[in-house]
Amino acid sequence: MIRLKNVFWQRARKQEKPVLSDLSFSVPQGGFRWLLGPSGAGKTSLLNLLHIESLPARGDLEILGKPVSADTPRATLVRLRQRIGMVHQNYRLMPGLSVVDNVALPLRLQHRPEDEIHDEVHAILKWVGLGERIGVPAANLSGGEQQRTAIARAIVHRPGLILADEPTNALEEPQAHKLLDLFDELSTMGTTVLVATHNEALIRRLPRPSLYLERGRLVREGE
Amino acid sequence: MALPFSGRKDGLSLSEALPDRSLFILVAMMSFLAALTLTGATGARALSARWSGGAAQLLTIQVTAPDHVPDGAGSTKNATQKTRADLVVDALAALPPGTQVHRLNKEELAHLLAPWLGDANNSALPLPAVIEVRLPAGTDSPPTLEQTLNAQVPGTVVEHNAEWSSRLRALADSLLACAALALAAVGGIAALITALATRSGLSSRRDIIRILHGLGATDSYIAGRFASRTGALAFGGGLLGTVLAMAPLALLFRMAAPFAATSLQTATAAMPSWDTLPRLLPTDLLIGLAGLPVVAAFIGWFTTQVMVRLWLRGMP
Ligand SMILES: Nc1ncnc2c1ncn2[C@@H]1O[C@H](COP(=O)(O)OP(=O)(O)O)[C@@H](O)[C@H]1O
Ligand SMILES: [Mg+2]
Repeated sequence: MIRLKNVFWQRARKQEKPVLSDLSFSVPQGGFRWLLGPSGAGKTSLLNLLHIESLPARGDLEILGKPVSADTPRATLVRLRQRIGMVHQNYRLMPGLSVVDNVALPLRLQHRPEDEIHDEVHAILKWVGLGERIGVPAANLSGGEQQRTAIARAIVHRPGLILADEPTNALEEPQAHKLLDLFDELSTMGTTVLVATHNEALIRRLPRPSLYLERGRLVREGE
Repeated sequence: MALPFSGRKDGLSLSEALPDRSLFILVAMMSFLAALTLTGATGARALSARWSGGAAQLLTIQVTAPDHVPDGAGSTKNATQKTRADLVVDALAALPPGTQVHRLNKEELAHLLAPWLGDANNSALPLPAVIEVRLPAGTDSPPTLEQTLNAQVPGTVVEHNAEWSSRLRALADSLLACAALALAAVGGIAALITALATRSGLSSRRDIIRILHGLGATDSYIAGRFASRTGALAFGGGLLGTVLAMAPLALLFRMAAPFAATSLQTATAAMPSWDTLPRLLPTDLLIGLAGLPVVAAFIGWFTTQVMVRLWLRGMP
């Protein structure tokens, strides 16, 4: 579950105009939301904020039911981040690590047993169609392969919240549909999902409530 | 099909994510320099101690016509007739207890004078007796020693070494100051370069730190992983630099060995053989050299801990 109340966010403290202005909305546990809006509207900024890469300048923010502010202990924020799966617009893979090692990272950071990690990681890589590419360093992957690796890494640890920033823009249509159907299925199983996209066709195919941003403000919310 | 899967305990395979040759090479070069400077400083300290301590305590006494038996030497009753040299040696018994008196024998004298006289054994020149007197530490020879000796054996010359000993002491002091200054400068620069190399190596890894942070890694985990990696790199570099410095260092010590002899008798013009060399290197120098890689590792580890934690503080 996420809840925002009059949230403002700006890049640098001295910057006059906030990138995100007066955002108030909430998504219940297991909810699926499209995050829409023109380029530069602030979709990436909002997802990064929900990933707790920075803190709101003003307003109240709650992620997975926990209030997030400058007063929240660091350890709590670390545990929260471990329960979030984020697909970044630019993937943010570890370039020197292979596909398996990249996808295994969230599980290793949670000190899961290696044999369990092995099984989970291989199963998910097979599912995203990277079963033959597991040993390849991330730096040597094509854009689509990097994106699928990033998606696998975001869901391998069964997070409570999935944040995906244009997660299918490097994928073929069938692959994109397959992945979005997975996100939708995960949301019916209780995972909260936010997907930022430009792709109208995807939205028509999977009609779900949307949040529409414009110049950092929430201008529309609903179907 | 066997699936490639790195079941590493460290979980991050940072050795692959962080290939940093430049840090390794820079630390190796700095350790090389530090090892040489440390050796120079140790050598300078030993030399300076010898000069300022040894010279003051050493007297050289020359007795001309040493084998001549004086007429009225009061030896009428004695069956054994004492030579001038014997008389001087007897008189020296009055010096403080612990004083070493050694009359150079013919071979030693010949050896000492060889550079000036050639084969002194076959020389027709009348050679004086040379008596080395080493006073115990903290004592001084009586200022009237030469007078006393001359009263009994006229023509005896006492070389006090006092004048050149004070010059030597000044020289030793300035040598020591230079060595200390060089050691401090090289140590400081080496530490700084190691820290800077660590820093520049890390700045290209900032995105990795950000990724790990985003995946929910704790600060101490990230800082610890990076610090042990750079610590190990710096240790390896330090080890290589120190080992490489051993060759010129051994050469230097071998050349310096003749000057390190304790007295005229043991001084040889020859250099010691290579296999005795390890015993010639002072223990404290060996300990200092062994400590260099550890110090390099600590600088790398510490700099990384500080920098990574500072960067992480910029993220919530
Ligand atoms: N690295 C950056 N530095 C400064 N401004 C940026 C940066 N990235 C984005 N912006 C600005 O922040 C605002 C929001 O951008 P962003 O969140 O990326 O929007 P979106 O993802 O909807 O395209 C825009 O005005 C954009 O110009
Ligand atoms: Mg964006």
